Amino acid sequence: MAQHQVNYMQDGGLPVALTSIDKLANWGRSNSLWALTYGLACCGIEMMASGASRYDFDRFGTIFRSSPRQADIMIVAGTLTKKHAEFIRRLYDQMTEPKWVISMGSCANTGGMFNTYATVQGVDRVIPVDLYLPGCAPRPETLQYGVMLLQKKIRSEKAIKSQKPKRLM
Amino acid sequence: MQQTNRLRPFFENITFDRDDNELVLNFGPQHPSAHGQLRLMLHLQQEQIVKAHPDVGYLHRGMEKMAENMIYNEFMPTTDRMDYIASSSNNYGFVLAVEELIGLEVPRRAKVIRMMLLETNRLMSHLFWLATTALDIGAMTVFLYAFREREYLMDLIEDYCGARLTHSAIRIGGVPLDLPDNFMGDLRKFLEKLPENIKDYEDLLDTNRIWRMRMEKVGVISTEMALSWGCTGPMLRASGVKWDIRKEEPYELYDEVDFDIPYSDKGDNYARYKVYMMEMRESAKILHQLIPMYFDTTPELMAHAPKYISAPKIDIMTQNYSLMQHFVLVTQGMRPPVGEVYIPTESPKGELGYYINSQGGPYPYRLKLRAPSFWHTGILTDLLPGHYIPDVVAIIGTTNIVFGEVDR
Amino acid sequence: MRAYTDKKDAQKKAYYTDRYWVAPQVPKSTVESDEVFAADLEAIKAKFEVIEAYIQVKQMVVIIKPEDNYGVLEVLKDECDYTQLSEMSAIDWLADKGQLEVFYQLLSMNKRKRIRVKCFIDQGLAVESVNPLFRSADWAEREAYDMLGLKVNNHPFMKRILMPDDWEGHPLHKSYPLQGDEFAQWYEVDKIFGKEARDIIGPENRDPAMVDRYDTERFGRLGHEVPRGAEPKESKGPEPTTPLAYQEEEGVFMIEKFDEEKSVVIRDRDR
Repeated sequence: MAQHQVNYMQDGGLPVALTSIDKLANWGRSNSLWALTYGLACCGIEMMASGASRYDFDRFGTIFRSSPRQADIMIVAGTLTKKHAEFIRRLYDQMTEPKWVISMGSCANTGGMFNTYATVQGVDRVIPVDLYLPGCAPRPETLQYGVMLLQKKIRSEKAIKSQKPKRLM
Repeated sequence: MQQTNRLRPFFENITFDRDDNELVLNFGPQHPSAHGQLRLMLHLQQEQIVKAHPDVGYLHRGMEKMAENMIYNEFMPTTDRMDYIASSSNNYGFVLAVEELIGLEVPRRAKVIRMMLLETNRLMSHLFWLATTALDIGAMTVFLYAFREREYLMDLIEDYCGARLTHSAIRIGGVPLDLPDNFMGDLRKFLEKLPENIKDYEDLLDTNRIWRMRMEKVGVISTEMALSWGCTGPMLRASGVKWDIRKEEPYELYDEVDFDIPYSDKGDNYARYKVYMMEMRESAKILHQLIPMYFDTTPELMAHAPKYISAPKIDIMTQNYSLMQHFVLVTQGMRPPVGEVYIPTESPKGELGYYINSQGGPYPYRLKLRAPSFWHTGILTDLLPGHYIPDVVAIIGTTNIVFGEVDR
Repeated sequence: MRAYTDKKDAQKKAYYTDRYWVAPQVPKSTVESDEVFAADLEAIKAKFEVIEAYIQVKQMVVIIKPEDNYGVLEVLKDECDYTQLSEMSAIDWLADKGQLEVFYQLLSMNKRKRIRVKCFIDQGLAVESVNPLFRSADWAEREAYDMLGLKVNNHPFMKRILMPDDWEGHPLHKSYPLQGDEFAQWYEVDKIFGKEARDIIGPENRDPAMVDRYDTERFGRLGHEVPRGAEPKESKGPEPTTPLAYQEEEGVFMIEKFDEEKSVVIRDRDR
């Protein structure tokens, strides 16, 4: 049986890194952003494409989950209609803190081209949004960039803050 | 401030204190394998479904109303968002309906380019169908493989029109652009690889016991049921009716290319899967034939009809009357003759029909979108009872419904 | 005070129409010019009254009385081999004639023919459901009811299909504005937060070109991105833009920064 002996005094010293709790927690949080699959319309297809082979979201630590209880971010990808609005609010409330929302595409941002009776004019009327991605539909690269921006935002936050629930009202 | 009980679900006609062991299961509207925003109210006895109520409309964006408030060219990008897996086929259905309304003959090169776009879209749509259905049933590998091929097709389309998903690549009277130089080479390269890829998928799935057990003899649609519910496309062909609008009522140059219509009389999930796989091969065959046809054509791309269609850009920039006509067509819109048309086309999902009622104004008086998925969702009412919960996902997968199209 | 305008037709109107312009017609031909259609029309005429029939764009259009709709479709299905109802909906003529135009689009696969059966029904009257003949009418009639308020007798499950059950109005009426009435515009707020929240949330922004640089809660600061809810800086000159680099300058622990020099660009698509 081979014996592994580690000489801590050699080769770069002790395997210890000093950091603050904030940094450690945020490092963990920002690199394992599990997203709630919220593909509503066309943008949902691009969201799937960014999870699939070419764009490979897994390498960012972003894994799509189907349950709001296991998710950290909600990527609202597509048109939110008035009939659906109550469900998005209910699923948002079911997500555990801390949680973030990316509004993907023009329809989710402002209602986009669907300036009609049946479309909610922007998801920010119903749930608070952290990041807006423009485009109709945004390319997978845009979504990747958006997630990286959100990671940067998370890294700048305090890890343990007074849990102020993010309610629209 | 927020009242938690305000968001109580609205269950119509359903009572929960019943004594017949029947469970009411709410499936959706945000379910990962519902292919969009489908909500199913399932009445269960043990694991078996006795009654199913599909509830749609969660993606209703009011496209028909939008059409009544828009000039014809303005409506084109909206059609993209209908069946967003294969946008060009929606563009095309609308364009064809308007062209039939105003009686327009399109140049041959534009026809070839349109057919190329339609067939690449069909391939994209079928690959996407395969990927998502396989994922729902649990075959992750096929999902990744099929998306890989789909990305290459999207690159092709992007080279042509600049968009990946929402193309708007077809105009009333022709197509806006000629194919880029590298298009044919890339297409050939893709088509050479495609048969191998399709074989890869089939190797992964055909002999897979789980796949066979979940697909065979599940979700059987009889011919009568398919006809009565207005099923079209692969749904109908898998139920034993050899009906393809490309063949029976040919539009564009489909009567000049040689292709077969795959069909099956089994009517179950597996038959539909087989039909989709065969159709991909047929699309590749059509694309192969289109490449030499393209080089035989003259480079005109838009029809000449000054009443309805703007002149080429070079004329607009140099000639006064072309500029004036362009200005009128853009600001006021074209005014088609008074009349009505219903034009069906074979989209990847089935018969995509546009009914346009024009009263001679620049806006359609009524535009009805006949989307195949709407009826393919309706059939779930009759199809699901008798099946078990896991079959629901497999059946929804093979019906290939897209909710942009169901709810419009 | 605003001038009174007629609310019967809220659709967009052409801003200019030439006084001397006469709209051309899509050509119609007689039914006798096509023998298959002529035979079908005879079969209908044997039992029911036909108000008008013609062929337009390769399809026969038959206009019948609204009370005959079930009978005519039965004849077409059983005797003339029209096996599929591809589409059924209605057109709103309420402002002009007080009528809805109902059309049934039928397909015969053996004959490769399509036929459109139409009838005009007065407001408030109901058509008979053709659900027993074609199951596809089940959803089509529900949609026609939902969108246009078409009343249908003997339908097994007459509910709204596309709009929520508690919706008011029928969106495809010409009197219904594209952007919805007051009920529609506040629907999601009323449902989720309650009517009392209308003041807090505010009306919808229906102007697609509006950019509000002082609203940091909503999507309205394109080009001046700040964290959500941050205080916008009052400044006279051009507003400082927020840098949108995806990583901090000093780098992130254990995460490598993307380096354009070191990365490989694959130009050949042949994998």
